[in-house]
Amino acid sequence: MEANPLQILVVEDNQGDVRLLREMLSCERPGEFELTHVSRLDEAEAHLAKGGVDIILLDMGLPDGRGMDTVRRTHAAASGVPIIVLTGLDDEAIATEAMTQGAQDYMIKGQIESRALPRALRHAIERFRMREESDRMRSRQMQLKDEFFSHVSHELRSPLTVIRQFATILADRLAGDLNPEQGQYLEVILRNVKQLQSMVDDLFEVTGIGAGKLRIDLERASVSEAVAYTANSLQGAAKAKGITLSSDVRGELPAVYADPMRLRQALVILVDNAIKFTPANGTVKIHARVLDEDADRLVLEVSDSGCGISPEMCERIFERLFQAQDPSAAGRKGLGLGLYICKELVTRQGGQIRVQSACGQGAVFSVTLPVFSLSNLLAPAFGKKGHIQSPFTLVVTEISSAGCWRSDEARAEQRRTFGQLLQGCLYSDSDVLLPKMGITGPEELFFIAATTDQIGGEAICKRIRENLREPIQQARLSLSTSYRVLATINRATSEPVKEFREKMTAEIQARMNQENSLRMVTSG
Amino acid sequence: MDNKKILIVDDDPDIRLGMNVRLKANHYDPFFAGDAASALIEAEKQQPDLVLLDLGLPGDDGFVVMERFKQIPLIADIPIIVVSARDARAAQARAIEAGAKAFLRKPFDDVELLALIRATTGEPALSEKASLHN
Repeated sequence: MEANPLQILVVEDNQGDVRLLREMLSCERPGEFELTHVSRLDEAEAHLAKGGVDIILLDMGLPDGRGMDTVRRTHAAASGVPIIVLTGLDDEAIATEAMTQGAQDYMIKGQIESRALPRALRHAIERFRMREESDRMRSRQMQLKDEFFSHVSHELRSPLTVIRQFATILADRLAGDLNPEQGQYLEVILRNVKQLQSMVDDLFEVTGIGAGKLRIDLERASVSEAVAYTANSLQGAAKAKGITLSSDVRGELPAVYADPMRLRQALVILVDNAIKFTPANGTVKIHARVLDEDADRLVLEVSDSGCGISPEMCERIFERLFQAQDPSAAGRKGLGLGLYICKELVTRQGGQIRVQSACGQGAVFSVTLPVFSLSNLLAPAFGKKGHIQSPFTLVVTEISSAGCWRSDEARAEQRRTFGQLLQGCLYSDSDVLLPKMGITGPEELFFIAATTDQIGGEAICKRIRENLREPIQQARLSLSTSYRVLATINRATSEPVKEFREKMTAEIQARMNQENSLRMVTSG
Repeated sequence: MDNKKILIVDDDPDIRLGMNVRLKANHYDPFFAGDAASALIEAEKQQPDLVLLDLGLPGDDGFVVMERFKQIPLIADIPIIVVSARDARAAQARAIEAGAKAFLRKPFDDVELLALIRATTGEPALSEKASLHN
């Protein structure tokens, strides 16, 4: 059978190395391999854009790209083509990192065996195809499972709505009087309907968590509001059990960097749980304060006077499907998902949750969250190692609403929409370190993007303004963009990331303040 | 004073019946539609003070209904409350942006439903005549 030759793209600026590779492959049958050679990354990108390449042999030191950057850019240019990295050094760390950036394999120059090369190429292609296939199957399966549970949870809601509706109609005597016994039985029905409803809710959340679809939108969130909301919504349940629910939020608390709705949700789970495990005449308290030892972190505590939790249970209480006996439901178990969901909510907001308890002396659940700051907002851009070496351009986009946003939900939705539009403006041809979004106040959203690309801030700003004009006008908002080339604040290798980050933050903050007077409003 | 007229758009006859009982008991005049087309016809004919709108309807969905309402001057200003079983996080913002005054997730609490209706139609709070279950 006559197969098409495998198309190999060699990206290598050392002519000697290219010649060597050609020689190695020349021993193969003619028509087996076809080698194309380019010496620069931009040439490689142009060639890959045309398609038809089966595998890339990539040198990591090129005239227009160095190190991991070459791997990232090549992978971005052709994510469906396997890459084998050619390195001059026998460095396991570099090779491993190259693999995480999208390379399939690496070869050390000078140690490549002629006979092994064709095999390595074929194997890399085969491995790549198998991995793609299994990724595709896995994601399809996850999607099906997700769709199934989401469907189940949705479909269960309709009959639940009807049962709840008619049970309350009867309980409210809208269809005539009931005798005391009938009234009592209806209460049992209603209590169980509500329990079923919260299980359906939990099921829905857990499906989202499992599928990685738990949506967390970090922004500036008020702890006092979350506490007030929770105390308000659960006051009735506490009263019904004869429990005193109180909150103690001292003084002016700083905002936290969290998702306001997810924060409320987590707090409701904790307080609801505390009420469930506290006997009549007990107390449940919500307390919030900035940590004495770390002013950048805020702690929220929910304490109860319940039966307490044994040390073994404390260790396992946040596990998925862990069940403690619910004293109010007489031997009935729930789904065991509440605290698991709570932990996922908290940790995915960058917080920690823990429980302290001595048996018989109640329990204290504490949630620690980062205090909101620009520095926090920017942290993901710097990663753990702070890989910022080249000069880069900082683009700040501000979107303001003439009045307030209609609701948290509407604002979050707008932010997502604009975030996606901004990414579209930036990813196409530049190396973006972040598009990071935040909210400065009740009336403004801002988006920051830093790029190491050379296309220029003015060009990026122009594109943002053009792409966003329509949706901004439709939503009756206003938009301003500004940029600055931050060439002067390169991080020296010896400089700690945290310090560098602080410096960057101050720089950006200063820039944003400056921009307030230089705004270019493109639509009104 | 005349009772306020409320159009309930939901394809589930059981939910329509339940709403009917609850709203009549609270001195509203409910009337019904089971799909988008009849929602528009009924609204134009009867000029309700408020619409309670489900999102999942046979044929055109609730979002289409909201769009159509906006295009017909006679009914464009009638307030709409969306009552849906869909994930609040995804659907709520979209519903509000589409012009709904509020979003209520199924299964809902009757107290909340009535409070929303009062707030939306501009009635004073707590004019409750029927006793309510908590």
